[in-house]
Amino acid sequence: MANSEALDRRIPASPLKQFAQRLEVRMLLLALLIAVCLSFLSPFFLTKSNIFNLLDQSVVIGIVAVGMTFVILTGGIDLSVGSVAGLTGIILGLSLQHVPIVPAIGIAVVAGGFIGLISGTLITVFGLAPFVVTLGVMAIGRSLAYIFSGQTAISNIPMGMQDIVYTNVLGIPSNVLFLIVLYLAAWAYLTYTKGGRTVYAVGSNKEAARAAGLNTTFYSILPYVLSGAFAAVAITFSISQLLSADPLMGNGMELDAIAAVVIGGASLFGGRGSMFGTLIGVFIMVMIRNGLNLMGVSPFWQGTAIGTVIILALLVERLVSARISR
Amino acid sequence: MQPMTAPLADRTASLAETGHSPLLTARDITKTFDRTRALQGANFELREGEVHGLLGANGAGKSTLSKVISGHYTLDSGELTYRGQEIRLRSTRDALRIGIAIVMQETSLVPDLTVLENIFLPELGRPGRLDYGQLRKRGQEILNDLGQGDSLPFDWEVRRLSSAQKQLVEIAKALGVRAKLLIFDEPTASLSPGEAERLFDIMARLRDTGHGLVFVSHRLEEVFAITDRVSVMREGRTVMNAHPTATLSQADLIRAMVGAELGAIYERGETHHVAELDAPVALEVRNLASAPAVRDVSFTVRKGEILGLGGLVGAGRSETVEAIFGLRPRSGGTVTLAGKPLKGDRPQTAIRAGLGFVAEDRRTQNIVPDLSVKENLLLAHLGAHRGFFCSYGQREKKMKELLAKLGMPEDRVADSSMLNFSGGMQQKIIIARWLLLEPSVLILDEPTKGVDIGTRASIYAMLRDIAAEGVALVVVSSDFEELLGLSDRVVVISDGRTIADLPSAMLDEESLTLLAAPRTSMVRNTEMLNDLAREHGGSGFWALIEGERLICLNAVVSNPALDPGFKAGQARELGATRIPEALRRREPIFVPEADRARTTLVVPMTSPRGHDLGWVGLSLPADRPLPAPDTIKSRIDTMAATL
Repeated sequence: MANSEALDRRIPASPLKQFAQRLEVRMLLLALLIAVCLSFLSPFFLTKSNIFNLLDQSVVIGIVAVGMTFVILTGGIDLSVGSVAGLTGIILGLSLQHVPIVPAIGIAVVAGGFIGLISGTLITVFGLAPFVVTLGVMAIGRSLAYIFSGQTAISNIPMGMQDIVYTNVLGIPSNVLFLIVLYLAAWAYLTYTKGGRTVYAVGSNKEAARAAGLNTTFYSILPYVLSGAFAAVAITFSISQLLSADPLMGNGMELDAIAAVVIGGASLFGGRGSMFGTLIGVFIMVMIRNGLNLMGVSPFWQGTAIGTVIILALLVERLVSARISR
Repeated sequence: MQPMTAPLADRTASLAETGHSPLLTARDITKTFDRTRALQGANFELREGEVHGLLGANGAGKSTLSKVISGHYTLDSGELTYRGQEIRLRSTRDALRIGIAIVMQETSLVPDLTVLENIFLPELGRPGRLDYGQLRKRGQEILNDLGQGDSLPFDWEVRRLSSAQKQLVEIAKALGVRAKLLIFDEPTASLSPGEAERLFDIMARLRDTGHGLVFVSHRLEEVFAITDRVSVMREGRTVMNAHPTATLSQADLIRAMVGAELGAIYERGETHHVAELDAPVALEVRNLASAPAVRDVSFTVRKGEILGLGGLVGAGRSETVEAIFGLRPRSGGTVTLAGKPLKGDRPQTAIRAGLGFVAEDRRTQNIVPDLSVKENLLLAHLGAHRGFFCSYGQREKKMKELLAKLGMPEDRVADSSMLNFSGGMQQKIIIARWLLLEPSVLILDEPTKGVDIGTRASIYAMLRDIAAEGVALVVVSSDFEELLGLSDRVVVISDGRTIADLPSAMLDEESLTLLAAPRTSMVRNTEMLNDLAREHGGSGFWALIEGERLICLNAVVSNPALDPGFKAGQARELGATRIPEALRRREPIFVPEADRARTTLVVPMTSPRGHDLGWVGLSLPADRPLPAPDTIKSRIDTMAATL
C-alpha cells in the first residue's frame, strides 16, 4: 500500500501545546488564580478550617455535577436535578419515619433514578427535547415535594443520619471521602469501560455510534437515571447535616451544577468534557461563594458575582482557545 | 447586477412577439468547489416558449449549472446573458428579481405558513400591511392560468400538503414574482405517474405562455415526453448543446452522456471471458423492501467476490444497504448471511453475525470527532464487544498489522482527532475499523466519495486485497467507471428494484447508464413479458435496436431452449444473437430462424406521445401452432398506451 501519500492536513501540535489545548488545564490555572486572589483578599481563606469548609461545601453540588456531566456528555441537559433533589429529600424524610436509615436512603435513591428513567425514556425513545422534558419534570418535582411534605419541613430526622457526614476516615470527613471516591469511580467508568466510551461517542456523533453497533438508546437514557439518583444522594448528605428535609431544598441547584460542568470544559453539544474538569468547575463555584461570604459581601450580590465569573471565564476561554487552535 | 431598464423591457416584449428569442445564454461557465471542478466550460441556451432538457450522468454538473443560473452559486468565470443583457447574480434574490426561479424539492417552502403566505413569501419582506384579499385574488389567477384552479387550499399550512401540491406551491410562488425562466430540478422524483402527468400539463401551459423551462432529469422517457430541445453535460462540460429532441434517439443521448465510442465498448463485452466463481454464498438478499425507497431488491454475493451495486442517485442503493445492516427498518424480504437468516433490528446484530458497513457520509455517519484515532479505529470493536470494559488490548496485534498495511505510523494512532487526516486516510481508517473485526461480508457505500484521485487507487488496491482474503465485498458507487473497474459483478438498482445482475465484463458505462435510467414502464413491461412467455411457452425480451446493434433492457426466458442469446443489460451485434433473422427483419409476422427450430415476432413499442420505446419480441418453438401476431401486438399496444 502506498506509503508516500499525504497523511495530514495540519501539522500535529507539540505535546506542550496539546497539554495547553486541554480546557481543564486552563481552568485549573483559573481556579488557582482565584484561590491566590482570595487568599490575599481574606486572611481566613487559606486556613485549614476554611479549606475543610470548602471541601464540605463542595460535596452536595459536586455529587449532582457528576450526573450532570454524564448528561451533558451525551449532548443533553437536566434542569430537573434541583427539584428531584427536593422531592427525593422529602421522600427520604418520610421514609425515615417508617424504616431504618439504610433502606430509607435506598428508597430515595431509587425514586430519583426512576424519575431520571422517565425523563431519559421520553427524550431518547420519543425524541423529545431534553430541555423541555426536564423543565416539565422540574415543575412536577417541586410541586410534588410540597404536596408530599404538607408544605412544611420534616424536622424529626433521626440523629443517626449525622454519622453519614461526621464520621472521619483517616482524618478525612466521610462526605468528602465519598466525593473523592465517587469522582474517581466516575472517571474510571468514563475512561475505561464500554459504557463510558459509548457515552462520549453518543454525544460526539450518535449516528456513527449507532452504525458501529453501540447501544445508543441505553446509554442515552442511563445518564438521566444517574443524574436523578445522584440528586437523591446529594440531598441525603444535605439532610444529614441539617437534620431537616425542606420541600424548598435543592432550589437553583441545577444552575450551579450546569455551571460547574460547563466551566469544567464540557461542551453543551456533547462529546467533550471530563470528571476532572467538572471537579475544578465545582471548586471554582464554591470558592467564589465562600470568598464572597468571608469578605462579607451581601448574599444578594453573590448571584451577580458568580454569573459574571461564569460568563467571563467562558468568554476568555473562547478568545484564548480561538488563538491556540489557530 | 444592473437594474432592468424600461427600454430593455420594451425590447424583450417586442422580441417575444417574434418568438424563439433566446431567453438565457450561458457561455463557458466554470465553477470550482475546493478542488473539485464542477463546471469547466458549460454552455447553455434557453429560448422563450421551450422546455429544455438538461441531462447528464451522476456528477456531470447539471445541478451545479442549474444553481449557477438560479443564483445559488456564483460562477467563477464565464458569461450569463439574460434577455440580451449580461447579468451577474450574487444571490437567489438577484435571480428572482429579474425573473429566474428554480423549483426545488420542497426546500424553499416554510412548512408552518399557509399556502397563500408561501406563494407570496417575497411580499412578506416588504414594508407595509399585506392585503390578503388582493393576494388571494392574484393567487387564484395564477392557479387558473396553470389549469389548477381548485387544487390548492390557500389556508392550509404547507406541511399538510402532498409532495405534488408542495411542488405546485413552488411553481405558483415563482409565478407570483412573475418569473419568466423556471428551472425544474428532478421534479418528478417524488411524484406518482398521474401527478407527473399533471406536472407535464402545467409545464406545457407555461411553455405555451412564453416561459422558458429547464427540465433536469435522469428519466429519458420523460425527457422525450416533454422537452423540445436537449443539452447533455459530461464532466462539467456541455457535450451536446441544444439539439431538437425529435431528432434524437435514446442511444444518442446515452452516448453523449457516457461519451464513449459504441463499437469499442461492444467489443470488450464480447471478448472478455467471465470466470464463474463457485465459492460459497456469503450474503443472500431476497425481495428486500424498506418503504419507501426500497421496493424489491435481490442479489447474492460469494466469498472473495466484489459485487457492485449500481444505479443513479436516489435509486435506493444506500437505503438498501442500510436496511440489510439494520440501520433502517425492513418492510419485507429476507437477508441470509452465511446460510443463517439475519434480522434487521439493529446494527449490533449484523456486526456480531459478521457484517461490516462503511456508511456513505464519512463526517456524519462514520467519524466520531471527539474520540481519538485509536478509539475511532476500535469503535466497531466496542459495538461488537460483550463485556463491561473496553478490552481494546484484544485487538492490539491485529491493529498493528492493519496500520502497517495502511502505511500509518503507529504513534499517529494516539492523535486526538481524525479530522487532521486527509479524506483518503480517514476513509482507510474507517475501512480498517471493520477489518479489525474480520467480517465475512463488508459493505461500502461510496467508498471513494471526497477522496482525491491519487488515493483512490490505493483504496481500490486495498479492497481487492480484502476480497482476495475471502471477504465478500458489496460496493455501492455512483461512479460507473469505478463500479465496472472494481467489481466482478454488477447489480443495477433502479426505482428501488433490482433490474439487472451481470458480470461487469459484460457491461459498459453505456449499458449501465441505460439500465440505471429509471423507467416508469419497467414494472409493467416485465409483467407483460412474463405473461407472454409463460402463456406461450417461449421467451420474451425488450430491447433497443440501432442499426446492427441491440441493447437488451429486459429478457424473460420460460423455455431455456429459446434463450435469445442475450440478457438484460447486454449489448450485442444482431448477428451474435440466436435470432438474427427476426431482429433484422422486424416484420409484423413470426419470422423463423435459419435452423427452423424457433420463430420470433418483433413488435415496436410506442409511448402515448408517439415516442419510440424500443422493441418487444416473443420467441416461440416453430413446431407448434402460433398465436395471431395481431393479438400479441394489440396487447403490447394496450400496455404502452397506458404508460
